[in-house]
Amino acid sequence: MAEAGAVADSPEQRSLRTVAICGPPNVGKSTFFNRLTGLHQKVANYPGITVEKRIGRVELPNGEHVELLDLPGIVGLHPRSEDERISVDVLKGDSPMSGRPSAAILLLDSTNLQAQLRLVPGILGFGLPTLVVLNMSDDLEARGGSVDIEAVAKQVGAPVAAVSARLGTGMETVLRFLEGATAPPQRVELPVLNNIPAEQRWATGVARQAHYHPPEPSLWGRRLDKVFLHPIAGPLIFLAVVVAVFQSIFTLAVPLMDGVEDFIGLTAGWLGTLMPDSMLKGLLLDGVWGGVGSVVVFLPQILILFLFIGILEDSGYLARAAVIADRSMRAVGLEGRSFIPLMSSYACAVPAIMAARTIENQRDRMATIFIAPLTTCSARLPVYALLIAAFIPERPILGPFLGTRATVLLGMYAVGFAVACATAWLLKSTVLKSSPLPFMLQLPPYRWPTIRSLSLRLFDRARVFLRRAGTVILVTTIVLWFLASVPYVDGQPPEIGDSLAGSIGKTIEPLVEPLGLNWKIGIGLITSMAAREVIVGTLGTIYGMEADEDSPDLQEALRSDLSYGSAIALLMYFAFAMQCMSTVAVVRRETGGWKWPIAQFAYMLALAYGTGFAAYRIFG
Amino acid sequence: MSPEPAAKIKTLSDLNPGTTALIGELDMDESDSVRLMELGFIPGTPVSCQRRVPLGDLAVYQLDGAQIAVRRETASRIRIRSVQASGTADA
Repeated sequence: MAEAGAVADSPEQRSLRTVAICGPPNVGKSTFFNRLTGLHQKVANYPGITVEKRIGRVELPNGEHVELLDLPGIVGLHPRSEDERISVDVLKGDSPMSGRPSAAILLLDSTNLQAQLRLVPGILGFGLPTLVVLNMSDDLEARGGSVDIEAVAKQVGAPVAAVSARLGTGMETVLRFLEGATAPPQRVELPVLNNIPAEQRWATGVARQAHYHPPEPSLWGRRLDKVFLHPIAGPLIFLAVVVAVFQSIFTLAVPLMDGVEDFIGLTAGWLGTLMPDSMLKGLLLDGVWGGVGSVVVFLPQILILFLFIGILEDSGYLARAAVIADRSMRAVGLEGRSFIPLMSSYACAVPAIMAARTIENQRDRMATIFIAPLTTCSARLPVYALLIAAFIPERPILGPFLGTRATVLLGMYAVGFAVACATAWLLKSTVLKSSPLPFMLQLPPYRWPTIRSLSLRLFDRARVFLRRAGTVILVTTIVLWFLASVPYVDGQPPEIGDSLAGSIGKTIEPLVEPLGLNWKIGIGLITSMAAREVIVGTLGTIYGMEADEDSPDLQEALRSDLSYGSAIALLMYFAFAMQCMSTVAVVRRETGGWKWPIAQFAYMLALAYGTGFAAYRIFG
Repeated sequence: MSPEPAAKIKTLSDLNPGTTALIGELDMDESDSVRLMELGFIPGTPVSCQRRVPLGDLAVYQLDGAQIAVRRETASRIRIRSVQASGTADA
């Protein structure tokens, strides 16, 4: 575990043999990869382009190490989406981003062998030593199917292993292949490439020679589909799932968040008693610990959302949800597949924008990337929570079930969603108009999500989030703290209004005044360019510094400084402005240039400023 | 491409739930048809319609061991032959 973060950077690592794992989507590639590498993996990006590169390290029984490269799923050798292209290029040795692997593992689903074997001639045609792995052997057996592995090996002219990556059975053969100890079998004549019907005839022949008995169709899979895709129950379940996910982000996460908050408060108090009063103490406690702490509080919420998305995805439900959502996505010009990234963008736009890669239609992909930051991500929550608590009195609306505050919060989600839909429709009927491509979506079989793969996902997410808190947010906090503490007057830190931060705020005040905001909020708007949630810590710093003796709490301070209308204006500003450097960076990377992120930033800023201005005018 | 009137040609979108047929020609440009073939829509392959999806124009088809949801406009470009009623009546 300790070395998990430092996997692929040591010099010896570079001389390692690399083995690429490839195969169609939904054959359990990540489970297989995780089974072999455990926590010894990291996610990088191919330089210059968008595709995520998953690399891991395996220690073999003979003590050697091998680097594993998890390639995106491919259904054939005619790539359509960007991640398919990278797989084909890496295997061909054409990829400028990555050296040619020294061997390949082709992972196939043994419960659908006669169709999946079609990929074999193409992959073997790349000329790498290749192991063909028939995964999900447990599922095949459980449903009464069987296959003669040796006969398959003889027919395809490559070593073959039957494994269950979920249970970890059959992995010895894979390890032996990785050690390089598998003798290459006799090469055989393979069908001509680029003729899919001929490849299928060959694959059917191989399956027949190997006495392949396909498994009985999964009965409970059918039953689940009957319910999940039912004309009435299907959409209702879909709605219930979406509501339950959002509900749990609040209810389940609250006790955990309180716990984290208490822990940070306690440790801050304890650290405070250890240090003498000094400028450094102020920096460490208020700046570093308080600032980073105000962000780390959201870790439970983000992990819970990713846990749910992980369960939905691994179980196979998410693909059914995409089918149900296709109709509504279509109404705004998108397809069902856009639903998956849009759902994740409620946690964070960054992984959502990366998830848009699976959308084959490039124009739909751009539209999805463009609207993802408009949905209410979890970084907006602390801002909304603070402003709503300060300005909206809590009153019951529907008895104990729904109060005014929750309603306003739901309203903020609705506003973001509505504007995202409208924007998609606008884009798809103008600049991103496209003739519909053939749309199809594979429905993977239902499977139990494994604790192992879910916890690996969460571990990965937590790492990314904490790294962000430890870098971007840490630096912003320290810089702000510094700007607010200079220049010293008579050996004392200045009043916030006289500090450097104060002068910057006052300089931009004319810009934010039309929204009913003052220079203090202006500073917050600047610091929150780094990440939205930073404004909470910033306002804490600014108001905390001003009121040194009888430090009123932040909500009260805001109430005395902002009118009702300007609070609504601020909410609108945060609903729409693209206040997140990570999102800008990821859009630039994903779209391969500055055109889209700049257009997006300008569009969102105009929306934010326009609606903020209108809100201030209307509500005063 | 085809001299026959379009209405007479049976396509995948005509296939009712519970019936099976063989995939025929694919009426689309080459790059689209290659993608469909890669997903298993290969002429001569048996295909059955599992269900139409509520509120939409998607239907779920079974091809070999795979389940694939296809929009109606795509399905209407996939010709079929030898429709067999397996369970429910043929349309």
